[in-house]
Parts: sequence; structure tokens; C-alpha cells
Amino acid sequence: MSAPSLTNFVVKRPWLKRWMTPIANWYTDAAGYRRLGLKADDLIPEESDTVQTALKRLPPKEAYDRIFRIRRAFQCSISHTLLPPEEHVKPHEDVEYLSPIIREIEKENAERADLDNLVVNRKK
Amino acid sequence: MLSRSAISRNAPRALQSAASRRGMASAATPGLQYDVSESSGVKVANREPAGVTGTLALVAKAGTRYQPFPGFSDALELFAFQSTLKRSALRITREVELLGGEFSSTHSRENVVLKTKFLANDLPYFVELLAEVASQTKYPSYELNEIIAKLLKLRQVAIANDSEAVAVDAAHGVAFHQGLGETITPSAHAPYEKTLSAEAVAEFAKNAYAKSNIALVGSGISSAELSKWVGDFFKDLPSAGTSGQYQLKSNSPSNYHGGEQRISTKAGNSVVIAFPGTSAFGTSAYKPAASVLAALLGGESSIKWTPGFSLLGQATQGFNQLRVSTKNYAYSDAGLLTVTLSGKANQVASAGKSVVEALNKAAAGEIPADEIKKATALAKFQALESAQTLATGLEATGSALINGSKPYQIGEVAQSVDSVTEAQVKDLAKSLLSGKASVASVGDLSQIPYASDLGLTV
Repeated sequence: MSAPSLTNFVVKRPWLKRWMTPIANWYTDAAGYRRLGLKADDLIPEESDTVQTALKRLPPKEAYDRIFRIRRAFQCSISHTLLPPEEHVKPHEDVEYLSPIIREIEKENAERADLDNLVVNRKK
Repeated sequence: MLSRSAISRNAPRALQSAASRRGMASAATPGLQYDVSESSGVKVANREPAGVTGTLALVAKAGTRYQPFPGFSDALELFAFQSTLKRSALRITREVELLGGEFSSTHSRENVVLKTKFLANDLPYFVELLAEVASQTKYPSYELNEIIAKLLKLRQVAIANDSEAVAVDAAHGVAFHQGLGETITPSAHAPYEKTLSAEAVAEFAKNAYAKSNIALVGSGISSAELSKWVGDFFKDLPSAGTSGQYQLKSNSPSNYHGGEQRISTKAGNSVVIAFPGTSAFGTSAYKPAASVLAALLGGESSIKWTPGFSLLGQATQGFNQLRVSTKNYAYSDAGLLTVTLSGKANQVASAGKSVVEALNKAAAGEIPADEIKKATALAKFQALESAQTLATGLEATGSALINGSKPYQIGEVAQSVDSVTEAQVKDLAKSLLSGKASVASVGDLSQIPYASDLGLTV
């Protein structure tokens, strides 16, 4: 599900990070999903086994809130409106809640692939 | 064939008198006595000599008797060898496959047993694995939902379709009510999901795998190496459990109650007629006469092409769709002597009467002396065999260690069974008939009689 990303490159260089952060913040805000009451992780495409498994692993409260946000955004989209400013998702609320689970599942899958292609070197 | 000197080094006194008999032990059979030691606070018992393969089991006193809520022992057993903080479940499986080893976990009414078998060289790996499972299993809630809960449901279906298992469970229930009377796996109708959560099981596991609550039992391993590795890997385990909602249930002594339970099912017909039996060897409620009586009642032949000498084997010869067996379920402070009948409903019904008749015969002292001798020999064999066989011996030894008594002392077991007299068996049968029985009938209840119809008091 992950697209190529420069994040790691930027984060490793503090000077670059200092430059980029305001631009990134402006960009994320301009993307507008927060004004529909969504979090970044709500935008991850669901149509893959990995994400489906991750969604099943969400705690019940998180899963409920996610569906609520998506339905609210859907309504906004249909009626061509934005949420009132007090209901916008604040930057500090826009945290990863699904991505850590997805990364864990990807790690599990990678481990399985690695073990399936294992070459054993026995100590003589 | 072993040389004479090899036999006399390891064999118990009971076998020494039978020097003229053939020694059937192969050279690879480990000895019978356990070396007991303590390594970094963990009780360790091991049976030498070290061979080419070894077996190591972790016995934790966390069976259904001690679980705080239903299903916890099942969950703990199924969570064993799942993902730990260091490795995923998949990696554990693949690594053990590469080493040619084996691991399994089971639980009984008193214990949860994690068992590993391996090539002798891999001992350190497996000691580390057991320590890791005990102290570092992750217990994430998705494993509970994706794996454990599903396995538990399958287990419930398997038990519900086995009328004998249902009947044995029900007999334990009416006999002991709480504690030993808990069902071995919560039934599908029980609201166990309310209390079963991954965090709760993790909390329970901390108590279950505390140093004071576990014992390691090995066989075919070098004792010195074992205690060295146990000292290395098990030192981080907490020495005592925490207190809280999910601690182990306190060890209240078992009381025998007795009663009757009837459950209708389409899964087959079974009747379990149970009486207070003998507890495990070395505990206060140990009565060797009960094991002799169990062998005398019998039902299953130990020899091919013959119904056997046992009273029930003889009495039920004509029934071709019936299975009869007598067993003593021995626990640390109580026991249950059960006669299990299963098969066609009408045959189960009439065989139930034969059980009471056989007991009446034993109580009246009408059993020929040589039959009692045969039963004594069989009871002795069964006791010694269950101590020698790894499948049963590991748990029995571990349980004995945790409960503070000595591990199975082979010689003494044989002696105490040998010392059972005819009068003791007769008195025991009398007291069973005059006391309360526990009867569980499962299946087509229109054909299976009530306990009072069989002539039993419940």
C-alpha cells in the first residue's frame, strides 16, 4: 500500500526537516481532508488483504470512530459542504491509528516470504 | 537386553523379586527415578541417562481448577508457542521444524503442560523456548480473535459431539461442584466471552507461569546441563504471582458431593457412574484399593481376542455395540473412580445394571481370590506404566513437584498396590455403594435409566 516516499530521507537531515515541516503542514492542510473531518489514515485504500486484516484488528472504538468519520465526510461530499471549523480535525488529532497495524502485518508477510525462501547453512 | 547389573541399578525393589522374568526394557529406556533439583528458584526433575533424544515439559499449576474465569486455561494453553516479544509464532514453528523437534501444549483439570521433544544437542534452544513462552508471550488481542477463539470454538464442537467427554465432564461437575468440577472446556452455551480478553489472559499468565507455580520435567537429558540452562534462561521469571482479579483461584480442598445429571443429545449415548476414588500417589487421600477395584471392574481387555477377567468385561460380553471402561482420575487431593459406558442406548441401559451388580458382588466378597490377584497385578502395571510412559509421567511428576510432595517413587507405588488385601477391596466396594454416587447420563434419555433405577443412591 505504501507509495515511494522521501520521508525518511528528510527526517534524517534535521536542517532539511526544519525547512520542510512548514511546507508539509501547509500542504496537508491544503489537501482539505481535515475539513471533511477525516484523518490521513482514513484515506488509505481498503482494497487489499493487508488493509482488510488491519481493519479487523482495530480496537472496537477505533473502528466505530473511523466509520463515523467516513460517513460524515460522505454526507459532506454529497451536500457539497464543509464541516464547521470547530469540527475540523485538528493537526494534533490527525495521528496514525491504522498504519502501525498495517506495517506490522507487512512485516509478518515479509517474514513469511523470507522464511519460505530460507537457505539453511548448517554449522560443520 | 540389559545385563543383570544394569537392571538392578535402576529398577525398583518391586521388580527385583521378579528376577526370573524376562527384562523387556530396551537399552534406550531411561531410568525410572527422577533427579530433583532447584535451579534459580524453578523446580526441576529429570530422568537420566542422557540419550540421543530428550523430552522437556513445563508443568504449570493452572488447569481449569485454578482458572479465575471459564476458558482461561484453554486460552493459556492455546497461546503457548504463539508470538513472543522476540519471535513470531511462525518463526518459532519454522525454527523447531528445522531442528527436527516437536512442541505441544495440553491442559487438564489441574495443570497446563507445555511439552517439547528434541535431539539431545538442541537442549539449550528448547529450554530458552520454554522460558520465552512462559515469560515473554505477547498475548495480543488479534491473536485471541483470529486464532485462539476459533480453535476454542472447534474444541467446543468436538467435545459436544463426544457424548463420553460430555458425560465425564458432567460427572466431575456433580461430584466436585467447584474446582475439579469445572468443565474442562467451557461449553458453547456458556457466556465465557464476557470475561475472556487478551489482557486478562496475559495477567493470568503472569500468575500461572510464576516460579513458584511451575516445574520443569525432563527425560533423557543430562541433569547437570539441564540445571545449568534452566538457571540461565529462567532467572527472569517472576518468583510469585501478582494479586488481582485474574490471579489463580485459591487452592480450596475438593469435597465430594455426588448427584445425578441427565443431558439429552443426538451425539451418542454415554453413562458415567462415578464414586470417590483415590488421589495421586504420594498425597494424603491415596487409597491403592481404589485402583485395584478399578482394575477389577475393568471392562476393556488388555489382551487380544478375549473379554478379559474383569467383572464388567465378563458381564458385558454379549453386548456388541457397547464400550465399557473403568478409570480412576487421580488429582492432587481427590480422585474420581468412573465407570464409563457408551454405545447403543438400550445396551448402555442394561450394562448400567451390570455395573451395580458387579459392585454388589465385590461388596459381598463373592470375588474369587485369584481375580483379585489379577486385578492387583493389573493395577500395579498400570500405575508403573503411567509413571514410566512420558505422556502421563511428565505431568504426574510435575504436579507432584509443584504440590510439594515427592515425585513418583516407583518402588513405593508397587509396594502399596501389592499390599492391598481382599478385605480392603470388599470394604471399599461396600462404602461406595452405601455412599453417594455421581451419575451422568448423556444421550437418548428416554431409554437410559435413572440412577435410582439402577440401585444407586445419589
